[in-house]
Amino acid sequence: MYRSQTLALKYFSAAITLFGVMTITGLISAYYYLNPDFLLGILPFNIAKILHINTLVMWLLMGFMGSIYWFLPAELGRETAGIWAAEILFYVFCAAVAVVAVVFIFIQYGGSNEAALWFINQGRKYVEAPRWAALGIVVIMVVFAYNVIGTAIAARKTTGIITVLMIDLIPLILLYLIAFPAISNMSADLFWWWWLVHLWVEATWEVLIGCIMALALMQLLGTSRRIVETWLYIEVALVLGTGILGLGHHYFWIGTPNYWLTIGGFFSALEPLPLLGMVVHAVYDAGAQHMKTTNRPAFYWMMAEAFGNFIGAGVWGFMITLPQINLYAHGTQWTVSHGHFAFWGAYSCGVISVLYLVLQKTRNLAFVDGPLWKWSFAALNLGLVGMTGALLVSGFVQAFVERAIGGSTLNAFISGQENAWFVDGMVARFLLALVFTAGYVVLVWDVLTLGRRAPAVAAVAPAQ
Amino acid sequence: MSGLATLETGLLLGLYALLAGIWGVLWGLAQFRQTQICGRSAAAAYGLHVLAALTIILWTPLGFGWKSLIVGSSLVFLAIPPMTWRLLQHTHQKEGSEHDRQPSQYSSRIVARL
Amino acid sequence: MVVDDPAFWRAGAISTIAVMSVVLIMLTIDSLAAISPGGSHVPPYTVINQHIDYKFDSNRGFDVPVISGAEPLFGKSLDEATAAALIDRGKMVIQSRACIDCHTFFGNGAYYAPDLTKAWLDPDWEGWQAVTGTDTREAAMVKFLMDPEQYRTWTRAMPNLGVSEEEAQSLVAYLKWMAAVDTNGFPPNFNQIEKRQ
Ligand code: HEC
Ligand code: HEM
Ligand code: HEM
Ligand SMILES: [Fe+2]
Repeated sequence: MYRSQTLALKYFSAAITLFGVMTITGLISAYYYLNPDFLLGILPFNIAKILHINTLVMWLLMGFMGSIYWFLPAELGRETAGIWAAEILFYVFCAAVAVVAVVFIFIQYGGSNEAALWFINQGRKYVEAPRWAALGIVVIMVVFAYNVIGTAIAARKTTGIITVLMIDLIPLILLYLIAFPAISNMSADLFWWWWLVHLWVEATWEVLIGCIMALALMQLLGTSRRIVETWLYIEVALVLGTGILGLGHHYFWIGTPNYWLTIGGFFSALEPLPLLGMVVHAVYDAGAQHMKTTNRPAFYWMMAEAFGNFIGAGVWGFMITLPQINLYAHGTQWTVSHGHFAFWGAYSCGVISVLYLVLQKTRNLAFVDGPLWKWSFAALNLGLVGMTGALLVSGFVQAFVERAIGGSTLNAFISGQENAWFVDGMVARFLLALVFTAGYVVLVWDVLTLGRRAPAVAAVAPAQ
Repeated sequence: MSGLATLETGLLLGLYALLAGIWGVLWGLAQFRQTQICGRSAAAAYGLHVLAALTIILWTPLGFGWKSLIVGSSLVFLAIPPMTWRLLQHTHQKEGSEHDRQPSQYSSRIVARL
Repeated sequence: MVVDDPAFWRAGAISTIAVMSVVLIMLTIDSLAAISPGGSHVPPYTVINQHIDYKFDSNRGFDVPVISGAEPLFGKSLDEATAAALIDRGKMVIQSRACIDCHTFFGNGAYYAPDLTKAWLDPDWEGWQAVTGTDTREAAMVKFLMDPEQYRTWTRAMPNLGVSEEEAQSLVAYLKWMAAVDTNGFPPNFNQIEKRQ
């Protein structure tokens, strides 16, 4: 095994651990809606939620990096360039995440000065991590990009997928620099912040996961390179063709000119179209393989990725993306419903799929199957889809009671939050989150024991 | 424009896109299992999708431009499954050629020299 | 056939991205001008010296901020530099306490607490004036922000975030300025329903 692949395994372990932290902090945040005095004064809602969404971003990034460190050496036929730096930075990364988490939990916030932003909390959604840590992430990502580009240079060759990946990493890293400034003008602040958030999840990350899924498809189904690359280019063209200006769906109400209502609504309404193409592609692959594969969990999670991306991002996003509807749905639990479904479908399922592929190789399994992955697959997906359903009910009620009727004052907000349907939605969300959590526990169990259980469950291939 | 009507439009738009997805999946299934039931349920899904589109056009307070966008999207949704399929079959036909099957380092065609 | 040549799609991808990026950059340049303080959509920071309202505009078909007459904050009219410094300070307080991870600003943030876009205009401050024993809206806001747990109005309380009096004043200035930003009618119906009744 290449050193790069050993590093990949470490990244996956860290990713799955942070996935656990994300789940627990999600549960705490959700429980606040049921019992608002819970931990008040110890770990307020905002800190729990910061931990939830920051570990989300970090575990997905770690999962992406692990996937690339895994596939890269085989793809280019040599050890990853500068792997020693990446190995050191992995520990730096983990230590930094731990320090940031401890500071969030125990210090929480500082005074209104630059020092607080450097060392405690930047207070900008998704990128709350203090600046020193954000700088660390920049260094880690730059070294990661160097690993990819340097390996291609050292190998004196590249492939279509790796070329797309190399080009994609540049805007991805540049966009992250938006995590640093503290612009006083909220309109300008949010304007740039959405470049980061939207152009990550609906542009550069989509391309990144596209590359990862392309590499995984070749390993999992033996699809030929030419086909995979053709599809990657088509996907990149369509996703970025609609997604770049789709950014406008966040510029309806932040003080920006009203041409964004037309541009943002139009282009983002086109975003589901390429996602349907990917679903059809998944059906084709499934049918062509007669659902036969040596790695069933990887295969099912990959199918879940295609479907989840379409439904979570495409369908759930489409509901709220026209300005007329967004005027009411904006910033309600409806948004939360979409955010969960989309992140889960588009990214989490893909990372879990690659994880199973990696395990098949490292544990030397001819065949990966068994009952455990099915239970975790079912509980995670049912739990998450159920949660988004519950959030949709609450979100609809909130949009109606608070926004349409009430007019978004504090009183209107309270009557929305106290509406019986809203409350039921929040209770249901919490219960379904417990199902999701059970699925996570089974996933960890399966991942830990896969190939180490009785051979009837997973047949061990003869040593090579 | 009443708030409730607008919000119901949101749910209809979701239904509209979801049915387009179901149409795509069923259409794909119908290509493998060429049974009548598969083909018909695909057609039915698209029919329901059109029904959702019609409801949006006739009943919701959206403006003319947005309604045109709905019609246009429905036509594209209709075309995506067969077009994707044809392209997939086309590319897979050529899959036989050996060099494509090799790991990248042996496949000189697509390996660009740096 | 051309469609199964990856090079065809690669060229397509590159040109689409190029066109879309150029359009985005052009629109960004235009928007940045509109949203700079004193631009067409965002008022200068000295707007905190004036009276601000949010009223229905029949031409545009939605509510817009209406800025009129002098109404200095805390009774002091501020020059441009002082007003800007106050707003800068307010933003620092907002970031350091992570208000956006409970509240939304222009509808962006977290959904645990009310949207603050028009919080300056919230009719509830009248009630808080009575509770805090203050005679102006801004004074009531300062008292609330300094000790929100004491003045909680319902089961879900805002925690005490260690906000000093000076910090609270800068927050009030920030919220007042934000209420004067033209948000294309978001939030809808704010205040209108209660006024009509
Ligand atoms: C832990 C969550 C939390 C944080 C952090 C938080 N708030 Fe609040 N805030 C609330 C809640 C809950 C309410 C409703 C309180 C009530 O009605 O008693 C509220 C109410 C308010 C109100 C009254 C709104 C109105 O329309 O009348 C203002 C203004 C406000 N907060 C400003 C801020 C500012 C500024 C910050 C940052 C310095 C902040 N909040 C941080 C939870 C939070
Ligand atoms: C992988 C793809 C996607 C992911 C991961 C994703 C995720 C998210 C998240 C997390 C938010 C909340 C952001 C915040 O306020 O913090 C959001 C908002 C939004 N998304 Fe997506 N999304 C995706 C694709 C789409 C698509 C394809 C559409 C449209 C068809 C869409 C439409 C929207 C809209 C309109 C909002 C704003 C909601 C509001 O006004 O509050 N998204 N998305
Ligand atoms: C145990 C399961 C989970 C629970 C209980 C949970 C709960 C929550 C809560 C309460 C919030 C705050 C929303 C608000 O401001 O009111 C939130 C935000 C968020 N969560 Fe989760 N979550 C869970 C799992 C996940 C997963 C699996 C993902 C992604 C794959 C995710 C992604 C997000 C995102 C992107 C946001 C920000 C959304 C927004 O503000 O619009 N969560 N979550
Ligand atoms: Fe977006």
